[in-house]
Amino acid sequence: MEINSRSKSFAISIASLVIFITVWELVCRLGFIEPLFLPPPSQILSRAVKMIENGQLISHTLASTRRVMVGFILSSMVAIPFGIFLGSSRFFMAVFDPLISLLRPLPSMSWIPLSLLWLGITETQKYSIVFMGSFAPSLLYIIEATKSIDPLLIRAAKNLGASKLDVMREVILPGSLPQIIAGLKVMLGIAWTCIISAELVAAREGLGFMIMNGKEYFQTDTVLLGMVMISITVMVIDVVFRKFERRLLPWTR
Amino acid sequence: MKRLMKKSLALVAAVVLAFSLVCAHADETPEKVTVIYGGSSWLGHYPAWVGIEKGLFQKHGLGVLFQNFYASSGRMGSLVAGDLDIASTGSISGIALMAAGSKGFMAFGTPDSYATVEGIIARENIKTIQDLKGKRIAAPFASSAHVLVLDILEQNGLDPEKDLTLLNLKVNEMPAAMHSGEIDACAAWTPHFNKLLKMPGHHLLVDDTEFSLYKKYKLGPGPDLLVVRKEFAQKYPKTSKAFVKGYFEAVDMLINEPEECAKVLMKLTNLSMEDQMEVLKDITWITGEEQRALMVDPGDFVAGMQQLAQFLVKHNQIDHAPAVKEWIAEDMVP
Repeated sequence: MEINSRSKSFAISIASLVIFITVWELVCRLGFIEPLFLPPPSQILSRAVKMIENGQLISHTLASTRRVMVGFILSSMVAIPFGIFLGSSRFFMAVFDPLISLLRPLPSMSWIPLSLLWLGITETQKYSIVFMGSFAPSLLYIIEATKSIDPLLIRAAKNLGASKLDVMREVILPGSLPQIIAGLKVMLGIAWTCIISAELVAAREGLGFMIMNGKEYFQTDTVLLGMVMISITVMVIDVVFRKFERRLLPWTR
Repeated sequence: MKRLMKKSLALVAAVVLAFSLVCAHADETPEKVTVIYGGSSWLGHYPAWVGIEKGLFQKHGLGVLFQNFYASSGRMGSLVAGDLDIASTGSISGIALMAAGSKGFMAFGTPDSYATVEGIIARENIKTIQDLKGKRIAAPFASSAHVLVLDILEQNGLDPEKDLTLLNLKVNEMPAAMHSGEIDACAAWTPHFNKLLKMPGHHLLVDDTEFSLYKKYKLGPGPDLLVVRKEFAQKYPKTSKAFVKGYFEAVDMLINEPEECAKVLMKLTNLSMEDQMEVLKDITWITGEEQRALMVDPGDFVAGMQQLAQFLVKHNQIDHAPAVKEWIAEDMVP
C-alpha cells in the first residue's frame, strides 16, 4: 500500500517536471522570451553535452564539491562540539551569545576582503568563505538541538548517579543527534550558496566560476546549467547524507 | 514707393529668417529630455561625466542621469533590458552580447584609445614572455587584459592551460597579490596599472601596443564602445543626436582643457589631482570628426573588431563570431 502511494507520488513529480520543461521549451521556441533572457531547456542540454565532452562540466562540479565539502566539514567539526558545549552551559552561552549574534547575519560575501588579506588567493581562502558562511547558522542549529533535550531526562540521569560526561554521552548526544543531523542537512544546502562568493576571486574552475564567467559572456545557458548542476549535486549529496544518517541513527528509522 | 518696397522686402526677409531659425531650433529639440547613461569610474566614461558636470548636455536641452555599474556585462545587460538608454562598454562585453544574438543595441562610437596604460606587469626576474613559463599570472577574465594575455602568450608559443597558471583576479586585487608574492605577473589597466608600475621590483613586460590587432589595425584588446539601445535611437533620434553632440563637445574639452576636466573627474574617480592628470595624459581621445572615419564598413576599426570576435572564438570565450558590422550605426555621429 505504502509502495503504491510512493510510486504514485513519484509519477506525479515526474509528470509535473515534464510539463514544466515542455511549457518552458514551448514558450522559448515560440519566441515569447528572448534566449538571452531565458534559453530553452534544449539549449541548456546541448551546452551540457558540449561541456561534458570537453570534460569542463565534471571538473567544475568536482572543484566546487571539494570546496563546499571541505569548508562544510571543517565548519561542522568546530560547530558540533562547540554548539553542544554552549547548549549545555548557560554561563558560556551568555559569554558567546553577543559574538554569535554579530556573526550570524553576515553574508559569506562580506568575508571576501578579510579572507583575501588573511589567506591570500589560495584554496584555503575559498574553504574559509564556505566555512564562515555555514559556521554561525550551524552553531545555532546545534545549540538549539542541545537545548531541546528534556531537562527531566538530564535530572533523572543525574539522580541515577550519572557523571557530567555520562549525561553528555548517554542523554544529550543521542537525544540531540537527530536534530543536529537534520540541521546539518539544511546547512549543507546553505554551504552551497556560498560557492558563488567562494569562487568570485582567483578561481579558474568551479560551478560558481562557471556561472559568473557565463554571465560575463552573456551565455545564459551556461549560467542556468551551473545552477542546475548545483541543485543536482546537492540532491546527490543529500541522498548520501540520508544513508549516512540511517547508519548513524538506527533508532530513528 | 521703391523705398516702401525695399522696406517690405527687408521685413519679409527678416520674418522668414526668424521663422526658419525658430523652426531649425524646434527641429533640434530633443523628443525626450532625459537620457539614462550607464557608466563607471573607468576612463571610457569621462566624456559623459564631464558633459554632465560642465553642463554640455544641458546646453542641448538634455538631462543625463549617470548610473554606475562595476562591470561592462552588468551595464550591457541593463541596456538591452531597457533600463539604460546609452552606455559605454568594453568591446569584449559588446561582442559577447552580439554573439548571444541580442539585436537590441547598436555601437556608434569609440571614444578613446589607452594602449600605453594597459599591459602585463611582472617581477624584475621575469625579463621576457618566455620567462612566464611555470609562473602564476593574473588577469580579470572576460576583459581586455585577459585578451591581451591570451594573445601575447599565443604570439610567444605558450599555452595558458599547460605552460603557466592563469588566475582570474580583479585589477584592484592585483597590487596586494603582487606584493605578497602570490602572483608573478598580472595584466592590468590604469589607474592600477600605474600603481603596480610604481611598486619596487616590478616592470612593464608588454603593453597593448604589442597586441597583434594593434599592430595591424591600431586596435587595442578591448576598445571602448559607445552603444545605444536600438529602440531608443529609433524612437528618439533628436535626443540621441543631442547626446552625441554634448558627448563629443566633452571629448573636445578633455583634449583642450584637461586640468579643468580633471577637477570634476576627481569626484567620479576619487583620484588625487596628480593621479587624475597622469591618467588623462595617457589617453588618446577620438573626436567626433575622427569617429566618422572610424565607424565605417569597410574600415580598419570594424575589420579589427571582427578579428577580435574571431580571436574570442578561437580561445573558447564565445561560441561563434557575430558579424560585427551589423551592430555598427554609421550615421549616429553627425
